[in-house]
This record gives sequence, structure tokens and C-alpha cells, in this order.
Amino acid sequence: MAKMNLEKLRKQSPKEKKTLNGQIGSVSEWLDDRLGLAKGGRVFFNKIFPDHWSFMLGEIALYSFVVLLVTGVFLSLYYVPSGALEIYHGTYAPLRGTVVSAAYSSTVNLSLHVRFGLLVRQMHHWAADIFLGAIAVHMCRIFFTGAFRKPRELNWIIGVTLLILGIVEGYLGYSLPDDLISGTGLRLMFSVTESIPIVGTHLAFWIFGGNYPGNGSIIPRMFIAHVLLIPAIITALIGAHLGLLVKQKHTQFPGPGRTEKNVVGTPMWPGFMFKTQGFMFLVVGVIALLGAFAQINPIWLYGQYLPYKVSYAVQPDWYMGWLDGALRIMPSWEFQYHSIMIPNQFFPAVLLPGIVFNIFILWPFIEAKITKDKKEHHLLERPRDNPMRTAIGAGTFTFLFMLFSASATDVLANYLTISLNIVLWFFRIATYIIPFIVAAIAYRFCIELQRAGDKAGKRKRTNIVWRNEQGEYYIEKSPAREGDFDVIGETEEEPIELTPELSEELNKKADLIGVGSSAATNELAEKFLESGEDGVKHVSRD
Amino acid sequence: MNSKKKTVKTFVSVIAVVALSLIFSLLESNSYNSNTPNFRTSSYSANNVSAVSQTTSSTPTTSTSTSVSSSVKETSSFGSNHLNSNVKSDNKKKKFVGPLLYQGSNVRATYNQVKEGQTLFDESCASCHGAQASGSDRAPNLVGLGPATVQFWVSTGRMPLSNPIIQPIRKPVKFTQAQILDIVSYVSSLAPGGVLIPNIKGYNSSSIANGASLFDINCAGCHTITGAGDALASGAYAPSLHQATPEQVAEAIRTGPANMPRFNPGVLTNSQVNSLVKYVTQGIQKPDNAGGWDMGGIGPVAEGFIGLLIGVGLLMLGAFWVGDRQ
Repeated sequence: MAKMNLEKLRKQSPKEKKTLNGQIGSVSEWLDDRLGLAKGGRVFFNKIFPDHWSFMLGEIALYSFVVLLVTGVFLSLYYVPSGALEIYHGTYAPLRGTVVSAAYSSTVNLSLHVRFGLLVRQMHHWAADIFLGAIAVHMCRIFFTGAFRKPRELNWIIGVTLLILGIVEGYLGYSLPDDLISGTGLRLMFSVTESIPIVGTHLAFWIFGGNYPGNGSIIPRMFIAHVLLIPAIITALIGAHLGLLVKQKHTQFPGPGRTEKNVVGTPMWPGFMFKTQGFMFLVVGVIALLGAFAQINPIWLYGQYLPYKVSYAVQPDWYMGWLDGALRIMPSWEFQYHSIMIPNQFFPAVLLPGIVFNIFILWPFIEAKITKDKKEHHLLERPRDNPMRTAIGAGTFTFLFMLFSASATDVLANYLTISLNIVLWFFRIATYIIPFIVAAIAYRFCIELQRAGDKAGKRKRTNIVWRNEQGEYYIEKSPAREGDFDVIGETEEEPIELTPELSEELNKKADLIGVGSSAATNELAEKFLESGEDGVKHVSRD
Repeated sequence: MNSKKKTVKTFVSVIAVVALSLIFSLLESNSYNSNTPNFRTSSYSANNVSAVSQTTSSTPTTSTSTSVSSSVKETSSFGSNHLNSNVKSDNKKKKFVGPLLYQGSNVRATYNQVKEGQTLFDESCASCHGAQASGSDRAPNLVGLGPATVQFWVSTGRMPLSNPIIQPIRKPVKFTQAQILDIVSYVSSLAPGGVLIPNIKGYNSSSIANGASLFDINCAGCHTITGAGDALASGAYAPSLHQATPEQVAEAIRTGPANMPRFNPGVLTNSQVNSLVKYVTQGIQKPDNAGGWDMGGIGPVAEGFIGLLIGVGLLMLGAFWVGDRQ
């Protein structure tokens, strides 16, 4: 219908012929008459986005998710979700003639055989790494600026849910190719599921269709979850995330003209739409470059997974790293209560993420309970303005980062040529100590930054020290530059007026230590400055 | 005051824990060190009987004086000091029977090789392994180890050792091929036995797929699936396989250097070793490396590092560029 309308417009006589804008206008008018788009469109086009760069971090996640969807559709055209065994006849010589699963062989074929296959697969994998990385960075921004406070608790919960779903989705995708490393990850997950007291064994057997490796149903099941179930939930939640964002409007940093009741920034049209479009190209471009030039997960080298094969130095993708690290540093403690045994995998791999994610989800309420703050907040806090929250956040981040690093104990030991046992013990202890040290430093840092006021991050104004022929020194301020603040004059101490008495006293002191001997410092100084004689010029900072 | 006390308390506890961890690590390394001598003496004692008798009976200087009596021995069997006998005599050269070097071949080391080897050994090895190669408190006995072991350690540059550490590292080789063979000949001439240099001539025609499968089962557990190598317990490590020559791969399989287990012909047949040699020198060292830079072949650790640092980092810079900084 819209096309017909355009045709009609084109056929109009030159007199009636409208400009391009007019044409678009009449098309949109036609659509508005039928769908009522103008109202929603106005809300959309008038949506104000604050300009601060940290507000763009979530968009990295959004656009890498778009890349994930597009590349994922391509991959699903070639991937065969089946554990059925077949003989490999493809191009990769070291595998030829060996028995592999359909899932593995189709992934190898799509990597080495299908045109653009490897590029798309690598882009998909890099985009997954970047998607979760961007979510983590975005979450840090929200946390440290207090953007989760009332009325945005729900959006925070949706965001944390997206993070959890993203991790699960990434893990499933990592497991689908059925190569040696992903199979090792699946084996681990079977044991972790089994370690849940009472229900664990039943759960694991149900998911895998029997004892490990199951009856071959795990790959089709993971496939459906990976390409249909979880992406659908993620897409819906992203919709809700952005819908709430429009409904509740953006937060903003405090500043001139910014209040709890307005939002200062660029409207969607004209302005932000172009900015965000450009940013989307940047995200896609970076992912495409990584996909083209950096190899990720070369499964043809890893070979088909078989339960009796294992490789050393197997790690999960980075977002599962903290769980792997927790498993690695967990001492081999096991608890038994009558007939119920809790294997030691339960604590790092089930209990730890359970606690961490519950704290994440509940954090807005925990904080409101502690601070008894029930007001609405639309202005952000700088991290320094809330030292306790910043310290807690920094400590938690460090704890997770230490766990994450612990998943690379073997790699660290190898590259630093340190004993693996020492690295392991370092992480067993440091993981619990360093977070407190970092939190204390962060707290102190916030307080110092508060004290520094507006001077923080600015440079001190340079002082020029002059020395005249008599060997006397004078301090003079350099011309002020942008962003300077005074050390001597305005902020630190008032300059002391040099009275004759003081001058005499100073001279006495100078005599004592053998520097300078003039009696009338003041006069000489004036004379010296007036005459414009060349002294020796020393410029020093402060 | 209170807060000060608290900070002092936390500081003290931090120091205490760090000290504890240090003590732990020291204990660990101590226990390792105390183990090693036991390990050495027990594993090398089998050869010590002959070694001790050699060291007590003769040093190079004394053996020249007793050359006439020992010259009879040389022709019939391996003796440690046969070379120090009257070298000028051509008859002895003819009578000399060198040690066998290669598996499945009758090639023996020549008199000159053994002689050259002894000179090189005295120059570069004897200071630790002893003039009779019978070992010392800092180096193991080499008598009876066989050609493959000696060739592996010298041809990978691990010997001579520059720095006595738990596990020697691969270095640029100090000798030419011929010189290495001389040293091998000399050490092998000291006593019979040990592993001969494996015959890998036919490896290029064996199955690479078979090798890949054998590698997954037998080697990837330590050397990793890409052959990049990784750290093992207590300072030991599985080295990278990317520089190994075909001969060295086979020698390592058969002799089990350092922490590596020894795979004798009952475990891996000669043709299986050949398949492994082919896979390591082709599939591992020259992989079909589609997809760009492999980042050292250490898998998701490097990938996560690049993904976060380059990927997310670059995009954050992009956001910083596009957005407002205030």
C-alpha cells in the first residue's frame, strides 16, 4: 500500500510534485492514519540522551547482541545439532577417517569449508565475549553512580537477569561444537549439577538423559535452549530494559542546569540517532576486525570430544572464568551428614554464584535498607560521593577478578615460571585478602577526592622561583592557564606579608644556615623587579 | 584512636597471612628439594656399581699409565677408559668396536667419534657429570643411559646446563650435529644398554589422523591439545612442542626426559611413534591455521584477554570519543 502511494506521488504533475521531505511526510501521514505512529514516534524522537560517554557502554552490549543474532542465524543454517557419530571426510587431514559427531563435523566444515563460515563463527564468538564484557562494564557504571536507586530497581533486576542469561547462553554456545574443550566443560557441568545435595543426581540424569555422557540428547537440548529459548527471553528482556529506560527517563550526572526533574542531553532526533548509528558501526567494525584477524576457538585443532580424552590447560570462556577459578582454589573438603554428602564442587560452583547473583539482584533493596533512603533519585552520584558503596563495589569486583585470574593458574605459572603450587596457594589466600585492601584504598581515595574538591584531576599552577645577583630567591606565579589552581594564593595558605621584622628574622635564620645576608630583602626585591635585571630563572612545579 | 587500632590490626593480620603463605611455599619447595636427592640416588643406583668401580680404579691421568693392561678389554667389551690407551696404534683402531647407535641398524660409532666425543665431554659435561660420566652430587650418572637420551638432551640445547633449576629449558644448541653424535658415541661407549636412537625414517608415510588420536590420549594431558605446553606441579612443566625435531619427538617418547613418562614399545609401537612424530611435526607445528593470529595457542585465557582488552577496551575508547567527557 505504501508503495502504491509512492507511485501515486511520483505520477503527480510537476506543479503538484512535492519535495522528498514532503513525500516522506505524506507516507508517514498515511501510516499514522492507520497505525497511529505519530504519538509513539514523538516520544521516541524526543527522548533525551545525556551526552556523557559512560552512558554509551550499555550500547556496546546492545549492538554486540545484534551481531550475535545476525551471525547466529547464519551459523544455524550449517550447524547440525546431533551427537550421532559419523566418519569425517572433510578437508582437515588430521581428522580424516576418524569417527566424529555430526555436531563436531558440521562445525569444522562450516569453519574450514563454508564461504565466510569461519569469519562469521569467529565474529559470533568474539561478539559473545564482548557482549558479556560490555554488560559487566555497563553494570559497573550503574552500580558506582547509584543509578539503580529508586525508581530504577526493576531495571537493575532485569539487567542482572540479562547478565545471568548471557552467561548461560554463552556457556551453551561454547558447548555446542562438541570439541575436546567444550566436552570437558560439559563433563564439569555434569559433576557440578550432580553435586547439588539430594536432587543433584536426578537433575543431572534428567538433563543429560542418563549418566554422563548421556544418551546423546544433550546436544539437541542445548541447541534449542541456545538458539530459541534463551535468545527469545534475552530479546524480550532487552525490550523491557529499554522500554523502562524510555518510561523512567535517563539519569544524569549533576551539573549546571541539571535537576532531579529534568534531563539535559541530545534528543533522539536530530542528534543522538546519528551518534548511536555511528557507534553501532564502530561496534560491528571492531567485532568484524577481531573475527577476521584473531583466531578464536580453533576446534579443528582440539579434535572430537570423547570422555576418555582430556587436554591440559582447559579454561572456559572468560565470563565463566571466575567459577572455574573458584573450583580451582577450593580445597578438597567434603561434608557428610548421615546419608547426604555435599561434594566440594557444590560450594564454589553452585553456592558461590547463587550468593553472588542474589546479592546483585537484591542490592538496591539492601542499600535502601541500610541507608533508609526512600526518595526517588534521578541525579547520579559520583563514586567518590558515596565512599562506602564504592568501597563495597571495588572489593566485590576485586574478589571476582581474583577468582577470574585463578582460572589461569597454570598459564600464569607457565609464563611467569613459578611453581604451580605457589600460584595456587597465592590465590587461595590473596583472593580473600586483596579485596579488603582494595576496598580500603578505594574508601580512602573517595574521601581524599572529596577533600580535594574541584581541584581533583587539575594541575597546580606553576610557580617561578627567581634568584637575583645577590643570591636571593623570589617566588612568582606563572600566568594562569586553563584548569590551573593556585597552590600558594587561593587555596592552601594565605601569603605572608614580608614586614621588615619578619625579613630581619628570616635573614637571621638565613645567616645561621649560611644562605643570603642582605638586610633589606623587601626593597631589594622591589628594585630588582623594577629594574628588570636578568636574574637566573628557575621554573619549578610547586 | 579506635580506627587507628583497627587499621593496625588489619595490617598485622595481612602481614601474618602473607608470612604464612610464604612459609607454606617454602615448605613446599623444601619438601621438593629433600625429595630430589632420594629420587636421584634411587633411580641411578642401578648403574652406580659400574660407575663407582670406574671412578675408584682410574682417572684419565692414571689410565694412561695403565693403558697396556686395559687395551685388551676394549676390543671385546665396553670399557670406560679404552680411549686413554695407546691411541697411536692403528691396530687398535681396527679392533675397536664402537657402540650401536641406531635402532634397527648395525651402524656403530667409530673410534674417532668416540675419541672426539670424549674431548667434548671433558670440556662441556665432565664438570658436573664427572670425568667418567658417573655423576656427582649435582648431576646424574650417564653410564648405560643409551644414545637416545644423550642425543635428546644435547640436541635440544638443554645440556650443557647454564643454570641448575628444577627442569632445564630448551636453549640454542651448543654443538653441531656431528659433535652431538660424537658425545653420544662417547657416552654410549661407556656401557652397553639404554635406548637406541629411534628409527623414524618412515614417519612421513604414516597416518596423521592416527597420530592426532594418539596425541589426544597420550600427550595432550600435559602438553595441551595445541602442543603449547603448560606448568605442572612444583615448578615442573610440560614444554612446548613447537620447536621439536622429528628425531627429538621420538626420543622423548622412548626415553621420557625429566617428568615425562617413558613410552616403551609395549605401550606405543614403532609405527604409532611414527604417527605421533608426523602429527607433532605437521599437525601441531604447522597447523591448518585458518582464522588469523592464534595468540600462542593457549585457548580461552588469551581469547578472554584479547576480547576484554582489545574488544571492550577499544569500544570503551570509542564511547569516550563519541561521548561527552566533562
